[in-house]
Amino acid sequence: MSTVEEPLYPIALLIDELKNDDIQLRLNSIRRLSTIARALGEERTRKELIPFLSENNDDDDEVLLAMAEELGVFIPYVGGVEHARVLLAPLETLCTVEETCVRDKAVKSLCRIGSQMKENDLVDWFVPLVKRLAAGEWFTARVSACGLFHIAYPSAPEMLKTELRSIYSQLCQDDMPMVRRSAASNLGKFAATVENAHLKAEIMQIFNNLTQDDQDSIRLLAVEGFAALGKLLEPQDCVAHIIPVIVNFSQDKSWRVRYMVANQLYELCEAVGPQPTRTVLVPAYVRLLRDNEAEVRIAAAGKVTKFSQILSPELATHHILPCVKELSSDSSQHVRSALASVIMGMAPVLGKDKRVQARGTNINYLLWDWTDRRSFHSVVVVITVVSMFMLDDATIEQLLPIYLSLLKDEFPDVRLNIISKLDQVNQVVGIDLLSQSLLPAIVELAEDRHWRVRLAIIEYIPLLASQLGVGFFDDKLGILCMQWLQDKVYSIRDAAANNLMRLAEEFGRDWAMEHIIPQVLEMANSPHYLYRMTILRSISILAPVMGSEITCSKLLPVVVNASKDRVANIKFNVAKVLQSLVPIVDKSVSIPISNILDHLFQLVRVAEKTIYPCLVELSEDSDVDVRYFANQGLQSINHATMSS
Amino acid sequence: MLKQILIKLPRKLQKSDLLDSSGSDSGNHTSNSGNGVQCTNIGNSISSRLSVVKRVSSAVFPASIMVGVEAVEPYLSFTDVSILQKQSLFISKLNLCCEVSDFSDPDKTSAEQDLKHQTLIELVDFVSTGSAKFNEPAIAAMCKMCAVNLFRVFPPKYRSNSISGEVEDEEPMFDPSWSNLQLVYDLLLGFITYSSLDAKVAKKYVDHSFISRLLDLFDSEDPRERDCLKTILHRIYGKLMVHRPFVRKAVSNIIYRFVFETERHNGIAELLEIFGSIISGFAVPLKEEHKMFLWKALIPLHKPKLVGVYHQQLTFCVVQFIDKDPKLADSVIKGLLKYWPVTNSQKELMFISELEEVLEMTSMAEFLKIMVPLFRRIAFCLNSSHYQVAERTHLLWNNEHILNLVTHNRQVIFPLIFPALERNSENHWNQAVLNLTQSIKKMLCEMDEELVLACRQKMEEENSQSSEATEKRKLIWERLETAANVIPPAACPDLYVITIKRFRGTGFQAYVSATP
Repeated sequence: MSTVEEPLYPIALLIDELKNDDIQLRLNSIRRLSTIARALGEERTRKELIPFLSENNDDDDEVLLAMAEELGVFIPYVGGVEHARVLLAPLETLCTVEETCVRDKAVKSLCRIGSQMKENDLVDWFVPLVKRLAAGEWFTARVSACGLFHIAYPSAPEMLKTELRSIYSQLCQDDMPMVRRSAASNLGKFAATVENAHLKAEIMQIFNNLTQDDQDSIRLLAVEGFAALGKLLEPQDCVAHIIPVIVNFSQDKSWRVRYMVANQLYELCEAVGPQPTRTVLVPAYVRLLRDNEAEVRIAAAGKVTKFSQILSPELATHHILPCVKELSSDSSQHVRSALASVIMGMAPVLGKDKRVQARGTNINYLLWDWTDRRSFHSVVVVITVVSMFMLDDATIEQLLPIYLSLLKDEFPDVRLNIISKLDQVNQVVGIDLLSQSLLPAIVELAEDRHWRVRLAIIEYIPLLASQLGVGFFDDKLGILCMQWLQDKVYSIRDAAANNLMRLAEEFGRDWAMEHIIPQVLEMANSPHYLYRMTILRSISILAPVMGSEITCSKLLPVVVNASKDRVANIKFNVAKVLQSLVPIVDKSVSIPISNILDHLFQLVRVAEKTIYPCLVELSEDSDVDVRYFANQGLQSINHATMSS
Repeated sequence: MLKQILIKLPRKLQKSDLLDSSGSDSGNHTSNSGNGVQCTNIGNSISSRLSVVKRVSSAVFPASIMVGVEAVEPYLSFTDVSILQKQSLFISKLNLCCEVSDFSDPDKTSAEQDLKHQTLIELVDFVSTGSAKFNEPAIAAMCKMCAVNLFRVFPPKYRSNSISGEVEDEEPMFDPSWSNLQLVYDLLLGFITYSSLDAKVAKKYVDHSFISRLLDLFDSEDPRERDCLKTILHRIYGKLMVHRPFVRKAVSNIIYRFVFETERHNGIAELLEIFGSIISGFAVPLKEEHKMFLWKALIPLHKPKLVGVYHQQLTFCVVQFIDKDPKLADSVIKGLLKYWPVTNSQKELMFISELEEVLEMTSMAEFLKIMVPLFRRIAFCLNSSHYQVAERTHLLWNNEHILNLVTHNRQVIFPLIFPALERNSENHWNQAVLNLTQSIKKMLCEMDEELVLACRQKMEEENSQSSEATEKRKLIWERLETAANVIPPAACPDLYVITIKRFRGTGFQAYVSATP
């Protein structure tokens, strides 16, 4: 680069760039703000760049968002923490814009800067900023202010602290619901910084106001804050102040609020200890498990394990288990599946003694229950409940028939569910006994008319492969894996290609050479161009696993051959695949020194002899896209040879 | 909650008349003398358990209003009582309908529900024939009945049925209890449109809380319900003048929440429809408050991706504003440009047609303020590879008013759009678009051939310079990069070493992560 040129004016450059019509250029220059700052030096950054940014924030939201983000990490460029305050001004303006993500980002950056600032700087500069925003005319400023209190509060002197608390309490009663929501959702963070003495009095009062709010969107945010607050208070205060409110919330008329309680309740149990849990929270939780609204039951059911972990085994057995049984035959399948997904974890919770003890009473009951109801989720649940009670030999005899019939269930979900839990089932029953029934189930799922079912089973194939071993796989599943490559739905074909790659990883190269590659390559001449495309895709995914040698000898010729296809889409995919093959052909870096030259020679040969001419030919194709991708391929080869 | 409790109550008791479920004046009604005491006891226990209902009724409907109304057996027909008694029978029947029944359970369609349905029909008849008089007790009873029946929390959107839920069903949800809800809405409408309604009394019961709960209902999935609400809210706005600022504020809040927080609301179209007629009733000159509504609520409403659902109504509102005050056109167009869709062609089509409507009403003075950014955007639209967008943009030239604006400012506008037209004729894929481009180019030539030639020349110059400019920009940044690396940030000298070293390797991120 020539050294004698016109002098460099970084600010002028930035101004010039920010005036450009092309948003991409404006965005790029903001992204390189740090470069400009470093070129300017700290002092001029403080005196020229930052003021310029403070005044020029009338740009697209995307540019503002980038600016808010960059400024968050700008402290080193303005001369370290003692000058951090200069960054507050531009961010303050960004806190007031309309677009939510810009505001959020600006608040986040302010918090980041504030948490590094010196205490007296916070008092002199940060706190006034928070106060200005909190008094902002338009609601956006006040919404942003709520997220800054937890940074401003700790270092403020007593007087200012009192003022800040009262400002926050006003924000919680703001006219605009948007502000109240923001205040409610940030209250937990703020409360964590407030002294204990004020927590009980003022902060509790603020919370209580929020619990009375007309809007359920605000009450439900308050629930979250309450759980956080509960952890800050002493257990006895928590029992006295928090628990009654939460219990009240658990009967709120809005299901969204109850849903939130169901999600948060177990955290409170941790905070208050066993006694109040038993008397107050367990009944509330049981109520939520039996809520009228399925969404609430889903949330509650999802926490069954976590909740039971906090309780003693007796409590769990007496209060929660009966509900679990009810839920297992819930009318909403989502409730049942929420339960099914966590229920495995309950076994250790109950302890060994309990399992044995409970076994006699529950087992027959549960088994009977199963024959009674055909609802599939209940069955899954029963199975898992049963399996957690007894893990001895006698169990297997009783469980096996259930598993087997589940594999024949009329709902695809049931079969999928069992297959997806195969590793757990394996621990309980042992897979050998199942494999006979497994295959028909898998085959049927593989041909299900819903493609999502097919997709789900494909994704379990590697799990199955690892559990069942290579022998079973070769005989039965190999054909299926090939069939999927010719599915009608793209996602299935794509998943099938990925699946082949994962299988090759699982069982190794030699196996893949025998069981995958020949079959795949055979399909390269399929009459349907979409299937031919799938083969190209499979090749490009398999190549890294198979290594350079096989790629050169087996895969590459097929790809080159495909470059003469009559469909343009195939041809430009060939160009893409060729490009991706170049680094693989070039792969073996760890070869001994003496071989390097040979290797390089060979690489050059492969690239020169096959890939390069093929791309050159494609680059003269009549189709514009084929030419484009071929040229890209050529460029990347040039780069690769240049760097080696 | 509520339903659950009601289900648990013995049926026999539900049937009996809980004349007063706010439950404080037990001794007042004498007509039920037989089981009166027992009844009220249950009434009390219900209302204490139904905290929801109780809160509504005690806050909005003080029990004292009810006192002194002579109760009449509600099962009688209006035709069977004397004219004097009709009014009290009316109130009795309203109170009877305060029971909420569970329609989600098909087995429960029992006698009580039929009775309630029947009673509601009688009430609707009674009100629609104009025989009802809305004095204070009647208003109180009416509002309470509406509150109990209408104000409810909507159930969650039902999830599609697992795997088989392949079809994206945009079918609207229909509330199972609609048969009753509709009657209640009819009653409320009858009450609000009652010709000699005393607004002073009515506003005591149709208060802020009542209105904001009514507004919450606009989120209903059922289009029939939203339609009823639209009519009712419109009438409330018309009748109860004191509440007008509140209604406007509450609706703005709903819109803010929709735009800035959730992007989910079912009733925006209906709310805007009401506002369309509210805006057309604004007095000129417009108050600042109303203009704020345009800037802060209506214009941002262009942003959500669901804009298609309410775009027609939104355009109407915007056009009403410009009709009132043509000076607003430039801020509207600026807003459109700000929220102009980049990837959603369907939305872009809507924007173009709204733009055309707005431009129709834009005066030359306003046009001058925004024409440069506007025609930059239009140039992009002319080049759109979505042929409908490109076609629609070309058709703007068919508009007399717009053509006139363009002609007068051709010195500015031609250079902006001419390169776009050239690009089109070189490589647009769609024949129809090509033809349109051709005819516009012809039109421009006929308008001012000299200018077109100048534009062409300028464009050619720029084309040859553009790669040079890119190269120059790259060089400047590279120089800057070098300069930046030479001047160390003195505040953290040890950091600097890391910076330089890492910077070459991994780029800017490494620097950031090295800062404390």
